[in-house]
Amino acid sequence: MSAISRAASIVGAYESPRRQAPRLHPFALQMECVMGALADAGITLSEVDGLCVAAGDWAEGGGVSSLTEFAEYAGITPTYFDSTDVGGCSYIVHAGHAAAAIAAGLAEVVVISYASCPRWWPLATPSFDPFVLPAGPGQFEIPYGPTLISAYAMYAQRHMALYGTTSEQLAKVAVTFRQHAAGNPDARFRAPITVDDVLASAPIASPLRKLDCCVVTDGGGAIVMTSRERARDCRKRPVHLAGFGSAAARTQLSQISPDIATPAAISGPRAFAMAGVDRDTIDVAQIYDAFTITPMLALEDLGFCPKGESGGFVDDGHLTLGGRLPTNTDGGGLSSNHPGKRGIFTLIEGVRQLRGEGPGIQVPDAEVALVHGLGGTFCAAATAILTV
Amino acid sequence: MSAPSLPVTDLVSDPFWEGARAGKLMIQRCPVTGRHQWYPRAHSLHASGAVPDWVEASGRGTVFSFSTIHRGGQGDAPYVCALVMLEEDVLMLTRLEGIAADAIRVGMPVEVAFGAIAGSPVLPLFRPVEARA
Repeated sequence: MSAISRAASIVGAYESPRRQAPRLHPFALQMECVMGALADAGITLSEVDGLCVAAGDWAEGGGVSSLTEFAEYAGITPTYFDSTDVGGCSYIVHAGHAAAAIAAGLAEVVVISYASCPRWWPLATPSFDPFVLPAGPGQFEIPYGPTLISAYAMYAQRHMALYGTTSEQLAKVAVTFRQHAAGNPDARFRAPITVDDVLASAPIASPLRKLDCCVVTDGGGAIVMTSRERARDCRKRPVHLAGFGSAAARTQLSQISPDIATPAAISGPRAFAMAGVDRDTIDVAQIYDAFTITPMLALEDLGFCPKGESGGFVDDGHLTLGGRLPTNTDGGGLSSNHPGKRGIFTLIEGVRQLRGEGPGIQVPDAEVALVHGLGGTFCAAATAILTV
Repeated sequence: MSAPSLPVTDLVSDPFWEGARAGKLMIQRCPVTGRHQWYPRAHSLHASGAVPDWVEASGRGTVFSFSTIHRGGQGDAPYVCALVMLEEDVLMLTRLEGIAADAIRVGMPVEVAFGAIAGSPVLPLFRPVEARA
C-alpha cells in the first residue's frame, strides 16, 4: 500500500453557482471559491500553508506566475505550492501532489482553486498557447488551421471508422448528462434534449456538432485538503484520496497514438493500484466531458469497457442511475458548467456524491468515487479514487 | 475566424521547408534503427543520442482521420484537416484537397501535392491517389 493512499482527505468543497460573472475578475471569483471551501471545512484562511493554482491561461486572470499572483491576491504566503498546468485535469494532479505533500509533512492545509470568466474576459488569447503557436513543433501543424475541437473530432472519426461507433451513440452521452443536469439548479442548461436534437445541431468540426460540445460558462470552484487525522475535526464527513495517477503524453496532433489510446490508459491503472480497489467497486464516476467523445475514450482506457465498446456501454444506459457507472451526476461540462479547465468540478462533485450532497442526481450510499480528467486534447490525464 | 498563422522556421526545420519548396517531402530517419520520425527534431526518438538523417518520403499514405472544420478555424472554412499515416509509419497533419468532404473515408489512399494555404509558404497537402488504368 502506498504511503500516500488514504493519508490525506478532502475536507472542504465549494462550487460557485455563477455561470455568468460580468466584470468580475477571475481572481475575485476564485477567492470566493477559496473562502467557500474553507467555510465548508471549518478552517480559516490563516491556517492555509499550501496553495495550488493554475490560472495563467486565457480568461483565468493570471500569467505565467499565476501562483504568486494569486497568493498575493489572497493575502497568504504558502510554503507548499504547485502550479502544474497540463490543462483541464491540472486540479486532479494538484490533489495527488497535495496528498503526497501532506503525507510527507510538507504541508498541513492545502487549498486547490480555479476560476475563469470566458464569457466576459475582454483581452485576446495569449500568444504562448501551444494550440495556436506556429513555431517549433507547431510550425508543422498550425498553418493548416486545426482547431481544438477538430482534434477531438479526429479521435471521434477514427473511433467511428475502427469500431462502428455512431453519431447517435455520441449524442446519447449529451442526452444522459442533460438528464442529470435537470435536477441541478445551477446547471447552465437543464431542459431535456433528444438524440435528434444533438444530430440536428450545427456542425462545428465533423463529426462533432454543437450539442456534442461543452457549454461555455464563467465559474469557479475550490477544495481543501488536510491530513486524515486532522480531517476528523472538520465540519463534514472527510473524503479520503485513496488513489492517484497521472500521465503527460503529447501536444501535437501528429503524435496521437496510432491505436488512439489516451494517457488515461496510464493514469487509470496507477490510480487503481494505489487505491487497492478494482473497477467493480466504483459507485460513481466524474469523467471530464469537454466533448461527447471525451468520456467515451476514458471509459475504455480506464477499463470500464473493452476498447471500441464505449458506444454500446453508453447506449445500454450504464452512465446513469441503475447502470454500471453513473457518471457526471451534476450534468458535467456538457450541461452544467465549463469555464475552460473543468477538473476542479470533477473533484467537487466526487466529494458531494460521497457526502450524499449531489445536486443533479445522487447515487444512493456511494462510498467509492472515480474522478478523471484530461488536459488539452487528450494530451495529459489524471485519475483519482476517493473513498469515505 | 482567424487569419492563417505562418510557420516560424528554424535551424532544425530548414531541410523540411527547403524540400517543400523543391516539391520533396522530407522527413527524418534514425541512423541506428532505420525508423522514421515526424515532426523534425535534432535528436532521434528511437536511439538515445543518435542524430537523425533527412530522407525523402514516398509521399504516399492513408487517411488516419479527418475533420471538416466549419467553425472557429481559419478564414477559408469549411476545410478538411486530416491526419495521414505515411508509408514510413509516421502520422502527419495536413489538409485534404481535391475531394468532396463527404467522399473522404478513413483508410483511403492519398498522396502528397504541394501547395500554399492563403499566403503560407509551400507546404505538403494531400489528395486522393488518382485511379490508374
